[in-house]
Amino acid sequence: MEILSLLGSGFAIALTPANLFYCFVGSLVGTAIGVLPGLGPPATIALLLPVTYGIPATSAVILLAGIFYGAMYGGSTTSILLNIPGEAASVVTCLDGYQMARQGRAGAALAVAAVGSFIAGTIGVVGLMLLAPPLASFALKFGAPENAALLILGLLMVGYLGGASMTKGLMMAVVGLLLGSVGLDPIQGTPRFTYGIFKLSEGFDFVLVAMGLFGIGEVLDNVEQTEEPEVITTKIGGLLATREEWKAAAAPMSRGSLLGFIIGVLPGGGAIISSFLSYALEKRFSRHPERFGKGAIEGVAAPEAANNGAASSSFIPLLTLGIPGNASIALIFAALLIHGIRPGPLLVAQQPQLFWGLIASMYIGNVMLLVLNLPLIRVWVRLLQVPYGLLAPFIIVFVLVGAYTVNNSAFDVGVAVAFGLVGYVLRKLHFEPAPLVLAMILGPQLEASVRRALIFSRGDVFIFFERPIAAVLMTLAVLMLLSPLARWALSRKFWEIVGPVRTEK
Amino acid sequence: MTREIGAVVLGLAVAALALREALGLPIGTVRNPGEGFFPLWLAVLLVALSLLLLGHALRARAAAGARGDTRIGQVIGLVAALAVYTAMLEWIGYPIATFLLVLYMVKVTHPQRWLLALAVSLLAAGGSYLLFAVWLKVPLPPGSWRS
Repeated sequence: MEILSLLGSGFAIALTPANLFYCFVGSLVGTAIGVLPGLGPPATIALLLPVTYGIPATSAVILLAGIFYGAMYGGSTTSILLNIPGEAASVVTCLDGYQMARQGRAGAALAVAAVGSFIAGTIGVVGLMLLAPPLASFALKFGAPENAALLILGLLMVGYLGGASMTKGLMMAVVGLLLGSVGLDPIQGTPRFTYGIFKLSEGFDFVLVAMGLFGIGEVLDNVEQTEEPEVITTKIGGLLATREEWKAAAAPMSRGSLLGFIIGVLPGGGAIISSFLSYALEKRFSRHPERFGKGAIEGVAAPEAANNGAASSSFIPLLTLGIPGNASIALIFAALLIHGIRPGPLLVAQQPQLFWGLIASMYIGNVMLLVLNLPLIRVWVRLLQVPYGLLAPFIIVFVLVGAYTVNNSAFDVGVAVAFGLVGYVLRKLHFEPAPLVLAMILGPQLEASVRRALIFSRGDVFIFFERPIAAVLMTLAVLMLLSPLARWALSRKFWEIVGPVRTEK
Repeated sequence: MTREIGAVVLGLAVAALALREALGLPIGTVRNPGEGFFPLWLAVLLVALSLLLLGHALRARAAAGARGDTRIGQVIGLVAALAVYTAMLEWIGYPIATFLLVLYMVKVTHPQRWLLALAVSLLAAGGSYLLFAVWLKVPLPPGSWRS
């Protein structure tokens, strides 16, 4: 029953007026950006990072986490009402959600999505709460070789699961590692890649890179898309789903929650993949697969549950191993670093108020989101009527102020702008920026672990295969590298099941 | 196809940059890796991945339809505006620089009516200055020309 008293202390922290306020703001902002296409959770978290410098670490994490899981709720709204996914994780929700809306069942679809999100989010937090502490104490046994093996496996998975092309994902990871090596080297302190520019001796500030890539990069990318989304004010209809609809949605919701939770733990997995997979799974095992794509409620319930389950469980690798599994979590990692807290196996033991406060706030946040999303749905739809052209300047201004405040220097604004251009070019070349930022943040750690392990073993590379934990992790990594063929076969089949999907933002 | 070639060229260019830097640093040995060890292997890996991508691209030969690249001029314009903004920020100061940047965005990048454009520019520049500089006490540059 120790866990209950710890959770109780967490609630004592999360229920203070200040933290309740941050949790509410996070959920609110998260829902808003979830609704708005063209502004994703990583960009928003990057924009709000400077705001968190001045508040306690626990409050900062509560706020940023709220944005992340809140976006999963909001993303379904536009998918269902407008056939435009507000978030990548809600792309599949369009397939059946929009069809339901056209049949006048928009209210039912929205209700099922919100309730499914709530159930999955809550189940995810329970899992996070139960799994994270034992996993963290296991990870305490890791030495340099295990750490290196874990980081290699993690980065491979991010490249593997993170986008359409594994080669491109891995290229981004390598570029990220190189960016991470700019500045003083982690063992001897020799400057690298600084080209005599003093400001670069501390390396690129991760916050500036993320703001540029996600904030400015997204705005530049959107400049090219002239068409404003057509806002159809369809009749939302009764918000209550019928008893039959709830019955049909119950099992897919629980399967989606579970699947989302499992996929979310994997680095590079997360909300997007889990929503696609759970949709494919439901269609595959449905007795009436022909109904999918024509307004099947299962096709809304399962993926919306899955993306929320994944959002909760993606905190597990961050809080136990210090490995952020996706770009949003990487930014939360950065926020913790700014507050002098290094996420890793020691976090649960050394920062119990942060860990349990966050867990408790996630329970509270999920309830707030249910309340925010069901009755306020019409308000969120209004938000869509703001043209992007009026929104873009505010995003840019936030990025520029944020970049300036990092060190109060115009040089930093230039760095963010430069990475904005990089982000735009990468998007044009169909590279995913996420592996880059993850690799960048993990790079110094990986390099230090590899070099320490090699010094320790006197240059014997088999050290990564001799110690049992490292050996298992490295074997998995090798298997993963050898499996593109299997993946190719799988993905062909996978896309046949899922069918054509509108993927543009 | 051209997009993939572009990606390959970018990968090779970054690798070349990294190689040049790594070779100027002590590489060390596997027994005692030096500062250049990690960047060197990363550069090699990046070359290998770029070549792999080239192989994919040459085999696929799919003509990828370019999607609305017609507004590329607007993207370049906005990047240029941001560069000018950065260069001038400390001299003309945050409020005026931001007002001009936002005005550019709402008149050129995403054109709006004049009245709306002016209102948004004033709100974005003035509002953010009040919020950050006055209320949150962030030392945003007031402009050195005034002193």
